[in-house]
Amino acid sequence: MERRDFLRAGLVTAGGVAAGTVAVTELAGRTNPGIATGTEEATLALTADGELVVTPARTGPKAPLTSAEVRRGVPGKKWVMVIDLASCDGCGNCTNECAKAHFVPGDREWLRLFKMKDSASTAPYWFPRPCFHCDNPPCTRVCPVGATFKRADGIVLIDNERCIGCRFCMAACPYSARSFNWSHPGNSPAANAKGYSPEWGYPRKVGTAEKCDFCADMARDGKLPHCVGTCSMGAMWFGDANEDAVTNSKGDTVRLSQLLRDRAGFRYMEELGTKPSVYYLPPDNRRSAAPGEPGANRSNPLRRVDLQR
Amino acid sequence: MSAAAKVIERDLLATLDPLGRSGRIWIGSLLAVCGMAFAAYVYQLVYGLSVTDMRNYVSWGTYMTNFVFFIGISHAGTLISAILRVTDAGWRRPITRMAEAITVIALLVGASMVCIDMGRPDRILNVVLFGRFQSPILWDLVSVTTYLTGSLLYLYVAMIPDMPILAHAARAGGRSPALVGLYEILGLGYRESPEHRRLLGRALGAMSVIIIPVAISVHTVVSWVFGMTLRPGWHSTIFGPYFVIGAIFSGTAAIITAMVIFRKAYHLERYLLPKHFHKLAKILLALSLLYGYFTLSEYLTTWYGGAETDARLLDLLAGNGPTGATFWIWAAFGLFIPIGLLLFPSKRSLRSIMTASVLINIGMWAKRYLIIVPTMQTPFIPAQAAGISPHYFPSVIEMTITAGAFAGFMLLYTLFSRIFPILSIWETVEDAEEAAARLPAPARTPDVLPTPARAGRVPTAFATLLLIVGVATVTPRPAGAQARVPASPAVGPAPPVQIALKRTTEDKQEMLVAIVTVNGRPVKDAVVGFSVARTFGIMALGEDQTLDDGTAAVRYPSGLPGDANGELAFSVVVKSPSALAGAPVELKLGGAPAKHTEVAEVPRALWSSRVPLPVVGTIGFLLLCVWATYGFVVTQLVALYRLKQEG
Repeated sequence: MERRDFLRAGLVTAGGVAAGTVAVTELAGRTNPGIATGTEEATLALTADGELVVTPARTGPKAPLTSAEVRRGVPGKKWVMVIDLASCDGCGNCTNECAKAHFVPGDREWLRLFKMKDSASTAPYWFPRPCFHCDNPPCTRVCPVGATFKRADGIVLIDNERCIGCRFCMAACPYSARSFNWSHPGNSPAANAKGYSPEWGYPRKVGTAEKCDFCADMARDGKLPHCVGTCSMGAMWFGDANEDAVTNSKGDTVRLSQLLRDRAGFRYMEELGTKPSVYYLPPDNRRSAAPGEPGANRSNPLRRVDLQR
Repeated sequence: MSAAAKVIERDLLATLDPLGRSGRIWIGSLLAVCGMAFAAYVYQLVYGLSVTDMRNYVSWGTYMTNFVFFIGISHAGTLISAILRVTDAGWRRPITRMAEAITVIALLVGASMVCIDMGRPDRILNVVLFGRFQSPILWDLVSVTTYLTGSLLYLYVAMIPDMPILAHAARAGGRSPALVGLYEILGLGYRESPEHRRLLGRALGAMSVIIIPVAISVHTVVSWVFGMTLRPGWHSTIFGPYFVIGAIFSGTAAIITAMVIFRKAYHLERYLLPKHFHKLAKILLALSLLYGYFTLSEYLTTWYGGAETDARLLDLLAGNGPTGATFWIWAAFGLFIPIGLLLFPSKRSLRSIMTASVLINIGMWAKRYLIIVPTMQTPFIPAQAAGISPHYFPSVIEMTITAGAFAGFMLLYTLFSRIFPILSIWETVEDAEEAAARLPAPARTPDVLPTPARAGRVPTAFATLLLIVGVATVTPRPAGAQARVPASPAVGPAPPVQIALKRTTEDKQEMLVAIVTVNGRPVKDAVVGFSVARTFGIMALGEDQTLDDGTAAVRYPSGLPGDANGELAFSVVVKSPSALAGAPVELKLGGAPAKHTEVAEVPRALWSSRVPLPVVGTIGFLLLCVWATYGFVVTQLVALYRLKQEG
């Protein structure tokens, strides 16, 4: 029996009424036709053309989060990132956009792009490395004062107003994801105007550590992190593991579990037991030139010049 | 008092006589170096740690090297005063105070190095306010504080019998009343009597036992600052004992160096005899061989295993660069030359022992540097892959502050020896009388030996709990949804499209079915798009064309979590024919697994804000053992003080 036949038969017997109870959502009276998502701060809507628009539900200035709220994270969320090494073309937009958005000084990168080549015979590949926001974070374990902390939504943040600058977290991070404010940061007026929160990490404070924050404030508002949103290849995905979905800059939303299964997703150095929140998809069937190949991007040439060891 | 004792007293009190010209120059130059270091530190405070050569890859450098070095030589006191006291090695007596003073002063200098290394020394109180016992830094803080308290107590208790002598001499010599008063207060009214001796013996016996595990714990947890991380070259199981042996090794070298200097400066040739140097030289030789053995174990297993990052580290260590040079300086100065100088008893001389000790001090500083810096230069993700080569060489500020640390150490040591005789008078007398009488010394074993706390043992691994992400599954219930689509204004007056949504199972395949009707009549050949809302976007599920009964179907996204009630917000849109096309319709359908929305309880974990109970339990138990012993020692001193009141 064909599916349509079966369905038709079912419907006929049911007399056109769906079997079981019927939950009806009447949308006729809504002024803003569209679909709402679970977040309180923002409404996601799909227009008639299939365009995705984000409408802030509250327009007035938001009350600043309490320190307890910042430490708790967004309830019910578990943020994850997926980086598709097959799609990454090494353009470095992610690093630059992140640096711009977080006023990252030239001597450091929150998201660093590596030209990896694991052995002489294996293929080179671009390797963007944000903070992995580990579920068993070595940095957070060793912090003597709880200045760096792990939230229930998975994000590892730093409270630069509590950090004592011992740099144990930097020594403990196996991925070298952390940087330090060795000198007075010279915050821009824009950074100062926003005011400090661990969710964005600026204005910077001298003598304290910093790193990628998964754009905690953006995720709270239902917006993709800067790096993910700017990726011209759509190679970076971000989402909530609790709803089994990740979204990229192209507006594609896919099931996380299926993406990881179909593309053989993995986490970097799983053997360390840190349980990262960042997954990688292997660089097979590449969409652009690998590092060192003809036509490959030069990684981040503008920022590289300033970079210090 | 015997005539010999009088001579000893006179000779050792003579070390407190006003300094000569060379002594004043010595103190003046030390003060000058300390002043420069202080200025350098102020400069660092003003401009931040950027005045050092530390950067994001090599984020620990000379200051941490100094920290490990000075905490290391603080173990001199433990070996000489405690181990030799417990084993009742009589020859130790002239050098105990020198060793105990090294311990206290080296601990002070070492601890200050950590503060100098801090990015925010102004926030040091946060360690008390927000201290996390999961962090090895807290273990360091607690054990160094405990060691410093114990060492001060130990140094002081062993000085009590000298205080009446010092007070008497100061009074006779017309020294300032403040100094006389200080000696009298510190003396607690001690007199030579069997009862005083008994109480003092009990206090000293208890201290000499308890200080050994405390000292071991100190350098063990210092090593764990490195050993507890996952980095190549640091994550080693032998780091605790390796560091402890290294500490006693460099501590012994430090005490020999100090003995040579004090012997010369204070003319103590009659008391610091060649036999002292030769006995210490044997210990030093044994320790150098032991340290060589540990080093071999460490590097041989690393090299033989040949793991990629380990291999990179070893390449750096033994390579052609400055690190390789430092490595061979260490191997020569810290190991091979001293062993060569000390190995043959017939070849040992004061000069060769002295040379070996100084070389070991230099070599062991280099070794600590080699433990810290090369590992930071070889992270798991090679910095070179990002076009960065992490290098490090101490800046002028770091060198100045390091020079200041050494000068400060020597200055404090010198000043100590200006106030208290650097050789213990009563113990030296005891030694002489013992030798004269050729009788066994009265047992100084305390009546009650406290249980030695096994301070070195803290479980190294704890089960780590993760966030509980159990997704509660709501019993699936058949559900459907229906909605009336308002006419799209862009399309003009359109017939009211109704869309009903339901979930069915067909051929064991779950399907999401939309029924499109206009005025109750099914619409045929309409293209319907299905999607479901997620936080950052709309997840497309597919499209289908309606059949003549108005149904269009796609696969139901099995297992896709819904909201807290297990409802999924589907969005269905009629895409064609254009007459019917309109805005997407949200239809909620129950029966999906409910999304986990509760905030998970914060677990007890190493990374969490809540400390695992085994960690608090172990630390608490060890501290209780040690501080209870300190308490016992203090009660003995109180009893000693009360004897005076009664007598």
